[in-house]
Amino acid sequence: MFSEQAARTAQGLLTPPSAEASTFARVPVSTYMNCSQHFRLGERSFNRQYAHIYATRLIQMRPLLLERARQKWGSGIAVRKLCELQTAEKCCIVGTLFKSMQLQPSILREISEEHNLLPQPSRTKYIHQSDELILEDELQRIKLEGAIDIQKLVTGTILALYGSEREDGRFVVDDHCFADLPQQLPRRGPSTDRFVLLVSGLGLGGGSGESFLGMQLLVDVVTGQLGAEGEQSCAAQISRVILAGNLLSQNTQNKDTINKAKYLTKKTQAASVEAVKMLDEILLQLSTSVPVDVMPGEFDPTNYTLPQQPLHHCMLPLAGAYSTLQLVTNPYQADIDGVRFLGTSGQNVNDIFKYSSMEDYLEILEWTLRVGHLSPTAPDTLGCYPFYKTDPFIFTDCPHVYFCGNAPSFRSKELTGVDGQQVLLVTIPDFSATQTACLINLRNLTCQPISFSGFSTDEDEGEMEISH
Amino acid sequence: GEAKAALPLAAGPEGGGPSLCRGGARSPRTSTELSAWVVKRQHRDPDTKEGSLQPEAVPVPAESPTDSSLHPAQLEMLKQFDLSWEYGPCTGITRLQRWERAESLGLSPPLVVRETLLEHEGDPSFMHCLWHDYPL
Repeated sequence: MFSEQAARTAQGLLTPPSAEASTFARVPVSTYMNCSQHFRLGERSFNRQYAHIYATRLIQMRPLLLERARQKWGSGIAVRKLCELQTAEKCCIVGTLFKSMQLQPSILREISEEHNLLPQPSRTKYIHQSDELILEDELQRIKLEGAIDIQKLVTGTILALYGSEREDGRFVVDDHCFADLPQQLPRRGPSTDRFVLLVSGLGLGGGSGESFLGMQLLVDVVTGQLGAEGEQSCAAQISRVILAGNLLSQNTQNKDTINKAKYLTKKTQAASVEAVKMLDEILLQLSTSVPVDVMPGEFDPTNYTLPQQPLHHCMLPLAGAYSTLQLVTNPYQADIDGVRFLGTSGQNVNDIFKYSSMEDYLEILEWTLRVGHLSPTAPDTLGCYPFYKTDPFIFTDCPHVYFCGNAPSFRSKELTGVDGQQVLLVTIPDFSATQTACLINLRNLTCQPISFSGFSTDEDEGEMEISH
Repeated sequence: GEAKAALPLAAGPEGGGPSLCRGGARSPRTSTELSAWVVKRQHRDPDTKEGSLQPEAVPVPAESPTDSSLHPAQLEMLKQFDLSWEYGPCTGITRLQRWERAESLGLSPPLVVRETLLEHEGDPSFMHCLWHDYPL
C-alpha cells in the first residue's frame, strides 16, 4: 500500500534534479481530541487501601454482566448473591475472580526468616497445576470448579457464572460469560488515505548502536528526508506519530547507585540523563514536522503505578518548545480524525502474560477487551493508584483501534463484536529489538508494518533497506 | 483532700495514702497523659498486679474538642452508614466522599446522611469514618 503508491508516482532517485524543488504539504490535522482526562491524577493520596477499587469495579460492572448473562442464559435465570446460595440450585453469580497461585511471588514468604528461603527466581510464567479459582463478591467467597479454564483466567476479572453449589461448599460451574465489548461510537474517518505511525520500545541509552540507525531512518522517513518524491509524498500522508512507551532502555534503570554510599556516587550521573538528551534530540526532529504523542512506559522517568502520568516537559527542553509535541498518559485514549484510539505501553498485557496460560500478546489484548477491563491484574500484581471513586480502566466505549506496545512481534487483527463493533487490534513490536513500526490507515482501518534495517559497519559498505 | 481521678479503668485500691506524686492532681486528659498516669499508678500499687484489671497503655483516640456529645443520634446514624456494606468500604475516605461515590454509582444512599454531613461540615467527628483514628 504505502510502497505501491510510491511506485506509481514515477521519478526515481536516478532522475536529474528538477528545476524547482517540489514540496509536499503534510496532511493537516482535521480533528484531534485527547480523551485521557480520567487517567490524569490530580492530588495523590496513598492513604487508602485497594478495597475501594475492587468494590467500585464490581459495582460498576455488575449491571453489564447481568445483562450479558440474561442474554446468554435466558432472562428467567435466578441471580443470587453468594450469601443467598442454596445447594444444588442452578443460578447465576457475579463477582471478582481471585486465583490463588502457589508460585506467585509473595513478599512475606521472601522475608520469612523462619523458613530461611532464598528469594524466588523470576520466571516468565507463574502458573502452576495446583492453582485455584475463587469468586468473591461484597461479602463472601467461594471456590470454583467445573467448566472453567483455571490456567487462562487471572485475578481481578469480573465475570458471571452459571452453575450450582455442591454440598462440600464449592461452586460447580456449567458456563461463564464476560462483559464483552461495550458500545461503539460510529467512526467518522477521513475519506482519503491518512496514516498514523505507531512505534514503541525505542530503547535509548541501551548501549547498542545498531538501533540508532534504524531510528534515524524512521525519523527521516517520517520527516520526508528519505527516498524520492514518491516516498516523500507518501510520508506526507502520515498525520501523527504515537510513541508507545519504553523510550528509554531497561539498562538506564541501573539501581546500583541507590545502594552505594553517597560519597561514592556524588559524581556519577544517572544513565537516564544521557538517554533523555538523546530522546529530546529525536523528538525535536520529529516534532518540527509532525504531531507526536509520547506515552511513558515501564522504564521511563515517570511514576511506576498505572496510570502513568506524562513525562515532564522540563526534561525535553528542545522538543518541548513545539506545540506538536504532546506528552500523554499511559494508558492513552484519543480521537484522531474521528477514529478512537486506545492503547497502553504494554505493562497490562505483559502482566497478564505472566499469570495466565495465554501465550500470544494479541490473544491477551483481545481477551482484555472481551473482559471489559484494561488491566484486571491491577492492583494485585501490577502497581496501580488506589482509586476510590471509579475504576478508570473499565471500558466505557469500544475503541476503533486498540493497541499495546512493547510486544515481542507485530500482530494485528480485526475484531467484530456482537453488536457490530469493529476494532483493529495491534500489538506494536519493540523497536530496539525488531526495528519495526506500524502504520495504520485511518480511512479503512488497515495496518501494515514498516521495518528498517542497516547493516553494521564491519560488514559491507552499509546498505540500507526500508521494507514495507 | 487529694483529687482522685475517677478513672473507670484502674481498679486499684482506694483509700488513704499519699497523693500521686505527679505535679498537679487533675485527671488525665490526653492519651499520653493517660498512659503516663496508668504506668505511675501501676508502680504505686505493685500489690494490686494480680487479681485486678490492670489496663494496658492502649492509645485511645483523644476526645474531640467540639461538642459531639450533643448529637448522639446523628452520630449513631452516621456510624450505621459507615457500617452498611452496600455502599462499599468506608476506610480512608471521608463520609461525604463515600456518600457521593455511592450516589454516582446509583446506590441511592439516604439523603439525610448528606444533610447531616453538610450541616456539620468541618467537624472531624462527623466528617471522618468510624475507623479514622486507627492506622491503616
